[in-house]
Amino acid sequence: MSFEVFRDVAKPIIAGFGITSRRLLQQKEKRATIQYPEDRREQFTRTRWRHVLTRYDSGLERCIGCSLCAGACPARCIYVEAAENSDSDRRSPGERYAARYEINLLRCIFCGYCQEACPTGAIVLRKDFELANYDREDFLYTKEMLLEPIRE
Amino acid sequence: MAVDEGHRTVSVTINGIEIEVPQGELIVESVKRLGLEIPVFCYHPRMKPVGMCRMCLVEIGFKQPDGSVRMMPKPQAGCTLPASEGMVVLTDSESVHRDRKGVLEFLLVNHPLDCPVCDRGGECPLQNNTLAYGPSTSRFIDLKRHLPKAYPLSQYVMLDLERCIQCGRCVRFTEEISGEHELAFRFRGASMQPSTFQLLDFESKFSGNVIEICPVGALTSAQYRFRARPWDLQTTPAVCTACSNGCNVWFDHRAGRFVRINGRINEGVNEEWTCDKGKFGHDYYNSTDRLRTPLVRKGDQFVEATWAEAYEEIVKGLESAGKDVAGLCGTRIANEGLFLFNRLFKQVLGSRSVDHRWTRTLGTSRVQTPIAGIEGKKGVLVFGSNPAEDLPIVFLRLRKAATRNGTQVTVVTPDVTEADAFATVASRIGQGDVLKVAQEIVDGQSELARKVADCLKEDGAIVTSDRVRNLPGGGEALRLLEDLAARCGAEFNCYPTGPNAMGAELLGVLPGDGGLDTWGILQGCCSGTIKALWLLDCDPTTVEGGDQALESAEFLVYQGVTRSEATAFANVVLPMAAPAEQDGTWTNCERRLQRMTQAIAAPGDSKPAWRIFSEVILRLQPSTPFFNPREIMKAIADADPRFLPGASDLPEEGAILSATTQAAMAGDGA
Repeated sequence: MSFEVFRDVAKPIIAGFGITSRRLLQQKEKRATIQYPEDRREQFTRTRWRHVLTRYDSGLERCIGCSLCAGACPARCIYVEAAENSDSDRRSPGERYAARYEINLLRCIFCGYCQEACPTGAIVLRKDFELANYDREDFLYTKEMLLEPIRE
Repeated sequence: MAVDEGHRTVSVTINGIEIEVPQGELIVESVKRLGLEIPVFCYHPRMKPVGMCRMCLVEIGFKQPDGSVRMMPKPQAGCTLPASEGMVVLTDSESVHRDRKGVLEFLLVNHPLDCPVCDRGGECPLQNNTLAYGPSTSRFIDLKRHLPKAYPLSQYVMLDLERCIQCGRCVRFTEEISGEHELAFRFRGASMQPSTFQLLDFESKFSGNVIEICPVGALTSAQYRFRARPWDLQTTPAVCTACSNGCNVWFDHRAGRFVRINGRINEGVNEEWTCDKGKFGHDYYNSTDRLRTPLVRKGDQFVEATWAEAYEEIVKGLESAGKDVAGLCGTRIANEGLFLFNRLFKQVLGSRSVDHRWTRTLGTSRVQTPIAGIEGKKGVLVFGSNPAEDLPIVFLRLRKAATRNGTQVTVVTPDVTEADAFATVASRIGQGDVLKVAQEIVDGQSELARKVADCLKEDGAIVTSDRVRNLPGGGEALRLLEDLAARCGAEFNCYPTGPNAMGAELLGVLPGDGGLDTWGILQGCCSGTIKALWLLDCDPTTVEGGDQALESAEFLVYQGVTRSEATAFANVVLPMAAPAEQDGTWTNCERRLQRMTQAIAAPGDSKPAWRIFSEVILRLQPSTPFFNPREIMKAIADADPRFLPGASDLPEEGAILSATTQAAMAGDGA
């Protein structure tokens, strides 16, 4: 075995096995491989995944159905239909609320412009990234699916 | 509105560029000649300037004899300043920008920041001007003015007092354009607010226009409220099909559904105004009563059918009726559909009984004055019908003629009309006295007759509508007045009121020789001489004896946009596309041919009228069918040279057709 063969072939292999064996002996927390789905990697603070329509502490919806998110959306995947609040059926503070709010997540590019355009901070992109599904229809997220549950 | 002082021009220097403008033209208008813009709120080109909002401040100076320029010490309002010789205007200087910023900051002191929920947001002059000229942040930290948010001024108009910037456009509209003087300002200073007198309903027939001219979201449409935002909408130029005036409108739609109507500029027809009937009368597009599939009667029930099945049923029914068939139609059908409807009955089925008229006595209309031509008349006699109700846009022209050009208007009607306010003579007559009064006017003996003669003596016109034929003796009265007009050299106009009634008349959707008219057809159904009847978007149950006629008709086809009372009697029901759901041309009351293109898709299986008739004709008489409306328009022009302008590309503002075939042949445009 010439010196060249040792340097270019055997040495890197040995070095590689060395790294592997070192990692094997390391503590579980420090390991590079994450055992998804049992374990989850911590996400960056600005990660943008699934949209959520948030509420005020009072339980009223923040969304006022202004359609600014739909206007800002470069993928044109948001559809908003507004309606008027009445005193007997109050969904949001003020005059107007979203009667329909739909996002086509197949079209969405998760750019976050909707979040930026929202004047009330109603639409936010949170960290729920597991969005796979079987049918195209299931990617049409309606207002009921997007709306945050009322906190106790 | 430019102040016209003859044709003299003066030289004005705007931002260092010298141009010639008519003397007395307002500076806001003059700068447009250079492609520049002065931001405005209260100024509107069709209304008198008031200088209320101060948004149009510009620096003004005058050239001195020694060549130097002497600037005025303070900025001037460009909307009230007429151009004069040697004037120097600066629209882009630093101090002008500072002034604009200041004005906007003051306007925004009390303007709420609810743009996201405001219906005007996105197409709001206040938003646009603030973005272009205003301060980027607000220094105002105190409590803003708080007033009622959504106060309904009428069933159509909502008033949000917090948003009002007190420009007075709405108040001036009711004073200068529609003429009801219904709105006025209450209180003074920051608490000044537009309102109706004694807080009554805002009942103007033109109230929808104030929504469009309001530079903020203070006046909004109750119907459009929260329906969409401007960037959600797609818009298509269209022609209003609420009445025969044929106003040009923008047809706004979202996701294939009609949303709202806005006025579109056509100087020959509606300038930029719309009436409430047109602006708020298009909701049938979204009606749940829309017909979606052809229906065929099986025993007591309607069964949904395919077009082929429906046609088969129709062909069977028509063939068994032989020549005893008749067709009645409404007037909200494009020229192409009416032409093929007429051809189906007169050429294919060999019947002469076709009609589109529904007035009690039937006659043909005669129109000599185009709508814009009313402005130039010296005297106008309004006879029998209320123009604001039947011919809203003709009414606005008439009012403009009377108030701006001093046209003498004589009103002779049974009911109180809006035209009384500016008429020199307003005379009330009994419902049954129409013929008697017309005779009186023609005889020229009475006091009223002398006044009418005085009104018509020079360059006069008579304005009336086909509604007069509903009054006893109305038809005869119109004939007398037509003769009178011919004798005293005045123009006679009996404007039709149905959307495309003029088109139907020009295309000859009228009983042929020996054919039955509307009333004859309905009687014929009862007596059994008419065996099969085709209803094209009309409902005879609303007229006397209609129910009975439909019940006794052996075979009835109902073709319409929406379900109606008449649908229940039909053997076959055909769904038809509404006007903006198809390509087609429309003829308004002054014979202006206007093209409308498809804005939205027709719901369900419905088809345009022309396609239905083309397919039925094909089944009755194999021939090459028409594949598109343009081909039909060519066939119409071949048959009737008056329609020649329609065969080529129509200009955007439409083309007025000649009254007679001879005139069209001679190439005379009028």
